[in-house]
Amino acid sequence: MRTILRLAGIGFGVLLGMMSQSAIARDLLVTAAKPDKLYVIDAKARKIVGDFHIAGANNHITTVVPSPDGKVAYVLVNRMETIVGIQLKTGREVFRANLSSPGERVKDFFAFTVTPNGKELIAYELPTRLGSSEYQVEEPRFVVFNTKGGTHAKPIRTFPAPRRIGVMLARPNGRSFYAIGFDLYEYNLKTGALMGSRGVMNWQQPAHGQPDLLAFWPVTEPSGAFSSPIYSEIQKDGAGDAVTALMTLDLKTGDLTYRDFEQTTALIFSTVLAPDRKFAYGTYTTLTKVDVAAGKLAKRVNNDHTYYSINIASDGSEVYAGGAMCDIAIYDAGTLDKKGDIELPGCADQALATLRVVHSR
Amino acid sequence: MIKSRIGLIAAASLAFMMPAISLAEVELVRAYCSGCHHESSPGQFDRISAVRKTPEGWTMTLFRMHQVHGLNLPEDVRDQIVHHLSDAQGLAPSEAATGRFALERRPNVKDIDLGAETNAMCGRCHSIARSALQRRDADEWLKLAHMHLGQWPSLEYQASSRDRPWWTIASTQMPSQLAAQWGLSSVAWTQWKNTPHRSLEGRWVLTSHAAGGLDYYGTMTVKKEPDGSYRAQYELHDSAGSVVHGTSHALVYTGYEWRGTADFDGFPVREVYATNEDGSRLSGRWFDANHPEAGGDTVAIREETSTTILAVSPRALKVGYVGPVTLVGTGLDRSNVATFGPGISVGRVVHGSGTMTVDVRVEDTADVGAHTVTAGAATSTVSVYRRIDSLSISPEFAIARLGGGKTPSVSAQFEALGSIRLPDGTLFPIGPVAATWSTAPFDEEAKKQDDVRFAGSVDEHGQFHPAGAGPNKEREFSGNNVGNLKVIASATESEGAKADAHLIVTVQRWNNTPIY
Ligand code: HEC
Ligand code: HEC
Repeated sequence: MRTILRLAGIGFGVLLGMMSQSAIARDLLVTAAKPDKLYVIDAKARKIVGDFHIAGANNHITTVVPSPDGKVAYVLVNRMETIVGIQLKTGREVFRANLSSPGERVKDFFAFTVTPNGKELIAYELPTRLGSSEYQVEEPRFVVFNTKGGTHAKPIRTFPAPRRIGVMLARPNGRSFYAIGFDLYEYNLKTGALMGSRGVMNWQQPAHGQPDLLAFWPVTEPSGAFSSPIYSEIQKDGAGDAVTALMTLDLKTGDLTYRDFEQTTALIFSTVLAPDRKFAYGTYTTLTKVDVAAGKLAKRVNNDHTYYSINIASDGSEVYAGGAMCDIAIYDAGTLDKKGDIELPGCADQALATLRVVHSR
Repeated sequence: MIKSRIGLIAAASLAFMMPAISLAEVELVRAYCSGCHHESSPGQFDRISAVRKTPEGWTMTLFRMHQVHGLNLPEDVRDQIVHHLSDAQGLAPSEAATGRFALERRPNVKDIDLGAETNAMCGRCHSIARSALQRRDADEWLKLAHMHLGQWPSLEYQASSRDRPWWTIASTQMPSQLAAQWGLSSVAWTQWKNTPHRSLEGRWVLTSHAAGGLDYYGTMTVKKEPDGSYRAQYELHDSAGSVVHGTSHALVYTGYEWRGTADFDGFPVREVYATNEDGSRLSGRWFDANHPEAGGDTVAIREETSTTILAVSPRALKVGYVGPVTLVGTGLDRSNVATFGPGISVGRVVHGSGTMTVDVRVEDTADVGAHTVTAGAATSTVSVYRRIDSLSISPEFAIARLGGGKTPSVSAQFEALGSIRLPDGTLFPIGPVAATWSTAPFDEEAKKQDDVRFAGSVDEHGQFHPAGAGPNKEREFSGNNVGNLKVIASATESEGAKADAHLIVTVQRWNNTPIY
């Protein structure tokens, strides 16, 4: 009822348009690009439906996190010092948090997340005190913002954090979040208490050496699980054999798995799990398909160029590769045949932006 | 806490021992730096007074003061401040010795080895030499670590940092470890500071070798300018017989660090030389102003030095050789006789400035190996050979970088070094020899990717010239023109003497700093 009332102010045409859209669920691809762009793309129509400007992006865009209701995208910009929330329908800025303040420079190294109810945004802060003739590296911290905090949002809670976090993921229970760095940590959302940690660098994988995880892409749609390639060596006859494993973390159950799927022959930056989690897809110079249950490489094809960030249609039918340059490549999820390409206007460079899929109804 | 207090005391006592520094120069530091660097006591500025560096080290710091902290420093003021700080807070010759190769910008040399852990912590972005060319106490090494992570927060996420608690190590273990090795105060520096240094004015005899190329020899006449800088006039010959003229304008820092901007027949050259402690010898490396990786080595001694042979050119003579041999050195004009040992007969002698050229004939009876050369009281050696039995390449491993846009390419210079087998079976090195050069794929992958075709080519002097940078549509994934190559040399004079070196052709380096 209240929705109807609010919509009453909007022009009739728009209202109609929205109604017709809502008739069919569709996937929207959300990506950001230099110097200050946020793009919304109708995946099936291969059409750019939103081309928005992010004020103060400072030619630097990285992590994109959609709100759970799919209405807002939060983007880390300004050399990792500012998080801006942009309404996906209108391009209107609805949230802005400047992490730095006079005398203290704060960088958020890719990591932030939004709670399942959409009410809070938790960011990771690496602060440096800028003295007149010296710098002072300070302890990292988590800061919690109210997403209704407006365009001058200030933290409502702050608690200590470990160093070198790269991914944060809110759990669907609304009570805790994961942070991935040296280890996989779980924190209480209200109190900031460390609830547990499991080895990443210190994983206990028999015969495997210390792994290398480079994870900056907090993609969990559509499966509800995070995944990433993780590299290590198996000691054999005194020599190391490089292997690539798939790491998966189920946000709901907390299940964490590592499973080797190949002797490392290609570098993979990011992966995404199919909705049924039977396959995972990874990208860098190649597009890789992993048979998750069998722990095997299912297929690999060369990309036309490097793509850093990968995602998948909500129905699992096609795979999207973005980041790195100015197009999003579309592949058939079954055959890995290339189905199309969407080039961003003016060939805008997506650099390290996360490619997200918002399932809109 | 105690450590940092000791550091302060050491800094204070050091300052006390320094000879009076021109007031005008302290005035410049006060005017341009004290806005941020508090002057805690007269002439003592926070941070600035607690470190010692080379001229290049000070230059790099001031570049950061400008680029990162917005300090606006007119060029002439910057030069004066660098000069003043290098003199007042520099390194003694013995302290700068281990890291000199970095000041000289020598390509493809092995860095100082502090063990795997420290090498990974502090030697993966720049040389360990950059640290070895500084002196500071633990509190200042710690502040440097704060600057690193504060300035480059990505540091702890990068490969070879993310596999360890980089910040914990950098902020706890490293400062005291580095201070123990390279602390602020030292006997060497105190002594150097308190010793008057000899003017470099006068005539010098010099010899120089361009890697992969010619030898040069002759004289250098040095005059001091009213502003304290030096001008040098070079009268040289090269080993191909041409006359080479050059001039240089040099600043001498800390009493011994010669930094020249030179011109040799229109070719711009930089000189990074240093005198020995008594100022009787000047040596170092010169390089192409636009390609620091290409250059050579110079040694010069004062003309009044007692009779000395600095170099013999050519250094190796083939049995049957008939022609001139040039001895380069001092006091040679006092002698009309030179000897080259059994089997080498000597003819006409011609004196030049700093040289004595002797016509020789290497008889069939001459033994292969080292022959003693004498001229007056001075001795040196020359090698005699019949054929080159074995070849090696210097360096054995090199990196070249693709050029493109505003970034010049970085070539790689190789040199073929010959050896002969002595009658007793041992190998005897005879120095650089002529070779023909080629490249081949280093491994299967390089072969598959056709690196030989894309990465660049090696010229007849052993210099590898990399290709242009940027995506190449002809390559897999539109790859860059990188490559993994074997560089192969075959001795021109002796078939069968072959060697290969390993060359990686990689992407551009974005920042070319004075100390790599
Ligand atoms: C606008 C402020 C500002 C001015 C002006 C300034 N500095 Fe600094 N300086 C800093 C800051 C901030 C640091 C600490 C961070 C760093 O090292 O970059 C620093 C650090 C230094 C250090 C320590 C670096 C190291 O670790 O070796 C030296 C030395 C230094 N400055 C020299 C100078 C000199 C000399 C001048 C004047 C010509 C100068 N600075 C002017 C801000 C300034
Ligand atoms: C991530 C790469 C990286 C690592 C790792 C690193 N450095 Fe540096 N370092 C730099 C860069 C870049 C500069 C140049 C700073 C500037 O702009 O002046 C620098 C500058 C320096 C300087 C010169 C600073 C001055 O003002 O004179 C020293 C000395 C130094 N580093 C020592 C160290 C030591 C010691 C360590 C290990 C604890 C270390 N570095 C690790 C990147 C690195």
